[in-house]
Amino acid sequence: MFKRILIANRGEIAMRVIRTAREMGIETVSVYSDFDRAAMHTRMADRSVALGGTQPSESYLDMDKILKAAKETGSEGIHPGYGFLSENAEFARRVEAAGIVWIGPPADAIEAMGDKIESRRRMRAADVPVVPGLVDPVAEAQSAIAAAEEIGYPIALKAAAGGGGKGIRIVHKASEMELAFRTAQGESEAAFGDGRLYLERYLDRPRHIEVQVLFDNHGNAIHLGERECSIQRRHQKLIEESPSVIVDDELRAQMGEVALRAGHAVKYRGAGTVEFLWSGGEFFFLEMNTRLQVEHPITEMVTGCDLVREQLRVAFGEPLGYDQSDVRFQGHSIEVRINAEDPEQGYLPSTGTIRNLRWPGGPWVRVDSGLYRGLEVGLSYDPMLAKIIVWGPDRNTAIARMKRALQEFHVGGVRTGASAALSVLSDERFVDGDIDTHFLEQLDLTQHEPKMEDAAALAAAVHRHRLARRRALSDSKGNREGWRARGRAFSSPYAGPRSADPSQQAPELRS
Amino acid sequence: MKYFLTIGERNREVELTERMGEMCATIDGREVPFSYTEVDQLGQIALILDGNSYAVSIEGDEASASVTVAGRHFQVELENERERAARVAEQGSSKSGGTVKSSMPGVVVDILVAVGDAVEAGQSLLILEAMKMQNEIKAPAAGVVQKLHVSVGEAVSNGAQLIALKGE
Repeated sequence: MFKRILIANRGEIAMRVIRTAREMGIETVSVYSDFDRAAMHTRMADRSVALGGTQPSESYLDMDKILKAAKETGSEGIHPGYGFLSENAEFARRVEAAGIVWIGPPADAIEAMGDKIESRRRMRAADVPVVPGLVDPVAEAQSAIAAAEEIGYPIALKAAAGGGGKGIRIVHKASEMELAFRTAQGESEAAFGDGRLYLERYLDRPRHIEVQVLFDNHGNAIHLGERECSIQRRHQKLIEESPSVIVDDELRAQMGEVALRAGHAVKYRGAGTVEFLWSGGEFFFLEMNTRLQVEHPITEMVTGCDLVREQLRVAFGEPLGYDQSDVRFQGHSIEVRINAEDPEQGYLPSTGTIRNLRWPGGPWVRVDSGLYRGLEVGLSYDPMLAKIIVWGPDRNTAIARMKRALQEFHVGGVRTGASAALSVLSDERFVDGDIDTHFLEQLDLTQHEPKMEDAAALAAAVHRHRLARRRALSDSKGNREGWRARGRAFSSPYAGPRSADPSQQAPELRS
Repeated sequence: MKYFLTIGERNREVELTERMGEMCATIDGREVPFSYTEVDQLGQIALILDGNSYAVSIEGDEASASVTVAGRHFQVELENERERAARVAEQGSSKSGGTVKSSMPGVVVDILVAVGDAVEAGQSLLILEAMKMQNEIKAPAAGVVQKLHVSVGEAVSNGAQLIALKGE
């Protein structure tokens, strides 16, 4: 097995890889930007290498710096996590050219699946069902309007190089096309450096269901069942669960078989996810994510399979050592993503410094996070702060468990979507499994809970009263009441890692 | 001391008085037995109200507080009697068309209107990029564009003035 690997990422996913690696006796090397000098992954790895810079382009996206760090630390493999360079075929090639193992799929597979147009061509050829739409991308709004007439409205405009909900617009009629096209193109160019868009039919009441697959280098491949990710907004997922209430054993086997066919078509290796849209009993290939997914833990919870461990084993050349008949599914798992966003204001991004933190615990509750007190949440990085994952013997137990975990959990300093997740889990339609990808957009968040509101009102008033009194006391000089002399400062005692002062730079290597 | 609270659409009144060194409270005129203990200096409060226990988290200042009770979030705006009187007086004296403000920090990537344009309610005015997403900022009401406070490429903070509209 590897002696030492480098993790080219930050936040919860860097922590996720560090944890499994450590359990396997593999040393870990973290890389970090100036901003992340105090981050969890910087502190918890065996070694940490400063990349400098605060923007992703100067740090976690800088291939030269990461390769240099890997060579200098003698890292035998690079795990890219998700996001950043994880689906960058050029980086995968450069890693391998440097004699380092790329802990991910082959560069050709990343390339084939990364381009949505190329991937749809390959999938059609491999007899994988795809959503009705254009095979070729369009470059301007007028051709999009012409093509839309043939496919039929509503139309989904998508970035050819896209992912993560960026560069996607839904167009209901021709008059909306021009502005939608322009903004989607702008977003796509900014995010991926590629402004090409393609069009497809927007399906009615679709559900997002994806299948986890695992391929080794010896011709073995298995699927690990599905995850339902229909609770999303602007294509950013909030709640995921496994299994899906609409997938029975027969459909699971069928979707799994199609997912493996999709992977074989691009000569896949490692862990990957084949995303499908399910609508009215049919399912269509959406895209394949050639990396570990954010929501991978729910698959781990119902299968008992550590996906990071399997990634490391497969990348090292080990055979899977088991086949499809060995895969067992047990119980039900749910994940809630804790994003820095304000659900009451249309899920707009929320920024601030994390001060107040209270973690959930108890049986079958797992927290994957890079959160710490003092973390400044800005706009440069992904807004996802943590993931709460629960397991239960059945769906209702898992829902009840997640609700109580969310009641225990608190992140203060930014707003998070946790309260919206609680509303979803309390909604009768969700409990009945009657959901689609529009559920969250249509959810009414203005529930009235009189007892809790009384508590909130009283707490806010007493809080203000005390703040005012404290200020009045501190204004009068020489007033030395006992509690003040002990220095009870209200403002955060945590200095944020905000300056790029060279004298404050961490040393290049820490072991 | 009396406080006027706004929580969403609702108005609440909390009065706090000190009696024999003990703090007493009424909520909307109803006297309630309570205990309020600060757990740390970071916003965790142990609140017992009417015998029920609430693990409350609170962040904010004197005018506005973000309160979380068992995972439920309440945005509370607070005023005392003097502040309320001052606000009511100010509202009566001016009636403006309004300024569209940024509800998030971001960068202006495109401005879709010019000074003098008549816009409808809901019409897109500009595009703001935040968290790598492009967000259309829409007119809250119909009006005429009076002033552009920002230009393309400019970074704006939460609450920054974007476009001044004159009501019709």
